[in-house]
Amino acid sequence: MFKQTIDWIDQRFPLTSFVKHELTGYPTPRNLSYWWNFGFLAGFVLVLQLATGIFLAMHYKPDAALAFDSVQHIMRDVNYGWLLRYLHSTGASAFFVVVYIHMARTLYYGSYRKPRELLWWTGQILLLLLMAISFMGYLLPWGQMSYWGAAVITNLFRATPFIGDQLVVWLRGDYGVGDATLTRFFALHYLFPFIISAAVVIHLVALHSVKSSNPSGINLADKDNIPFHPYFTIKDMFGLGVYLMVFCWFVFFAPNAFIEAANNIPANPMQTPAHIVPEWYFLPFYAILRAVPDLIGGVIAMALSVLIFAAMPYMDRSRIPGGAHYRPFYRILFYLFAVDILVLGWVGSQPVTNTTVIVGQVATFVYFAAFLALPFISKIEERYLMSRKLPPALKSLLDAQGERSAK
Amino acid sequence: MIRMLLATFSALLLAWAPGAAHANEAVLDHSPLPEDKAALVRGAEIVATNCNGCHGLKYLRYRHLLNLGVSKDKVDEWRGSQSLDAVLASQMSDEAAKESFGGVVPPDLSLMASAREGGGHYLYSYLTAYHNTQDGVLGNTVFPETRMPDVLGMATATDAQQKAGIQAQAKDVSAFLIWAADPHAAERKHLGSYVLAYLAFMTVLLYLWKRRIWARIDQEPPIE
Ligand code: HEC
Ligand code: HEM
Repeated sequence: MFKQTIDWIDQRFPLTSFVKHELTGYPTPRNLSYWWNFGFLAGFVLVLQLATGIFLAMHYKPDAALAFDSVQHIMRDVNYGWLLRYLHSTGASAFFVVVYIHMARTLYYGSYRKPRELLWWTGQILLLLLMAISFMGYLLPWGQMSYWGAAVITNLFRATPFIGDQLVVWLRGDYGVGDATLTRFFALHYLFPFIISAAVVIHLVALHSVKSSNPSGINLADKDNIPFHPYFTIKDMFGLGVYLMVFCWFVFFAPNAFIEAANNIPANPMQTPAHIVPEWYFLPFYAILRAVPDLIGGVIAMALSVLIFAAMPYMDRSRIPGGAHYRPFYRILFYLFAVDILVLGWVGSQPVTNTTVIVGQVATFVYFAAFLALPFISKIEERYLMSRKLPPALKSLLDAQGERSAK
Repeated sequence: MIRMLLATFSALLLAWAPGAAHANEAVLDHSPLPEDKAALVRGAEIVATNCNGCHGLKYLRYRHLLNLGVSKDKVDEWRGSQSLDAVLASQMSDEAAKESFGGVVPPDLSLMASAREGGGHYLYSYLTAYHNTQDGVLGNTVFPETRMPDVLGMATATDAQQKAGIQAQAKDVSAFLIWAADPHAAERKHLGSYVLAYLAFMTVLLYLWKRRIWARIDQEPPIE
């Protein structure tokens, strides 16, 4: 019966061949490490956010007078409403953890390099969409931090030349953040996850055309690829188990680690909180915004700090394949950059003082300097590596690659 | 251990803002708060008969107090002619409150334990931080400019025993308000241990299964 049904479909739709080609039989480098689990995990988190979000939306009321109470209604009266809400609010943070690790993997192993530029750029678009979704979702519980965070961030659009003021009103639907802002953010918060899902499909189409990168940095010979199923299905499932243990620990035992205390006070336009901080995942960018004394400059620096990743494929000019594994200078740059982001995150979380301003400005300088130095460092490093005897492992990789491209 | 991990984690990565809290963490008293049912019930009584005079608890209904374990007689006494489904509204009107307290309305207490940095420890510290300054003026070290009177009588307590009694009351009140802010917390942790145990078991199985599958990788024929 089952086989007959599948045959019936296959005569009309390429089901079996699609599954075989793109899923079960998809050729995957056998040497992928656990760092390659995070793309799948990001997809999982997206599905979980969609599922919990849709059920939250059944009980949530996007109305400035009702929103805060409706979240409390979810937390107290709806069956397992607290679980839905904690899964969703913790899930947003988890999404960024997973995506940031996924990006760090890409940067460390040079997976953004030719021929994966488009794959990297679709990932960049996914990051921007994720930021927009979280920013809008964070307004919905209508607490003090929701309100003032949205007020501060929408206000940044004032920096737009000529139409700045009108643009801010257009975004908010009113002169200040208010009911009109809440309803439009809710509509878009519901819509964008479906746009992100479509963007994920494009990301995967790009992936399946260039195939996964791997820790060696070069494309493996065909014989070193193995079918995705069962090897990576089981590896992804094991990774999912580990991920869920960490995630569920937060959901069940420390869910309020991701909900700001001030967000349990209803939004009050008359009372500015002493210290407005964005969610942790925006802190490094927020620090860059504040490092520049002038609004327009700050906004440009912040936008650049996110967008500059798109230039990576062109800034890295080395002919040595891969990323930090065989490239000592690039590796130093990678770790320097990682530490710098942590420093920026800390600065972003602190109230402005003389020290944080200086630290923030130095860290912002290092942030951009790391990118701008890359073209030179990658060339210097290439010359340095070529002039010395290459490690045998790298040399055999390069030879193998040369042979295959000669064929 | 968990607290410590959390504290380090949040300090390192998240560094929460004080938000609307008035305290700086350093002055808070972090002595442990009770979690047992009896303490919650004692706390409920103080909140219903004292705090509720000025503060509302709009997310709590009298029925919830029954479910918590407060006796029917007491709940009936507190609610008077109101129905069991009535919320614990403040017994003072906003206008009267503004008149008495220099323009402020005492804030709703049902979410208070989540709405201040330090949670229950903030509440406990705030309630017990009242004292008389040298010139005989009432002060509060946690929230110096507070317009709330010293409702538990900390500043006027004379001997150590009386002080200890008030501190015990303040602990019960804080414990009750922690419950009120997140009434499903106990259920959540209970369920959480089962979920984590199940996940740990599944994850070990998946790991063993993964090892088995990967053991035959050398026999894998090349992909055509
Ligand atoms: C006589 C009226 C009155 C009573 C009784 C009362 N309070 Fe208050 N409470 C106030 C007022 C007024 C404020 C506002 C203080 C301010 O903002 O200056 C307040 C504020 C508070 C705050 C918020 C402090 C902050 O950080 O903003 C807490 C917590 C609190 N009360 C707890 C309690 C508890 C617990 C009880 C019962 C043990 C209680 N109150 C009894 C009048 C009262
Ligand atoms: C990419 C996936 C998503 C992300 C990253 C995300 C993020 C967020 C965030 C950060 C919040 C605030 C959480 C809080 O503090 O309570 C939120 C709230 C909310 N989201 Fe989402 N969301 C996603 C998808 C969805 C979807 C698909 C829906 C509905 C179809 C949805 C519906 C809601 C609702 C109703 C709320 C308000 C309730 C609440 O605050 O808990 N979300 N979201």
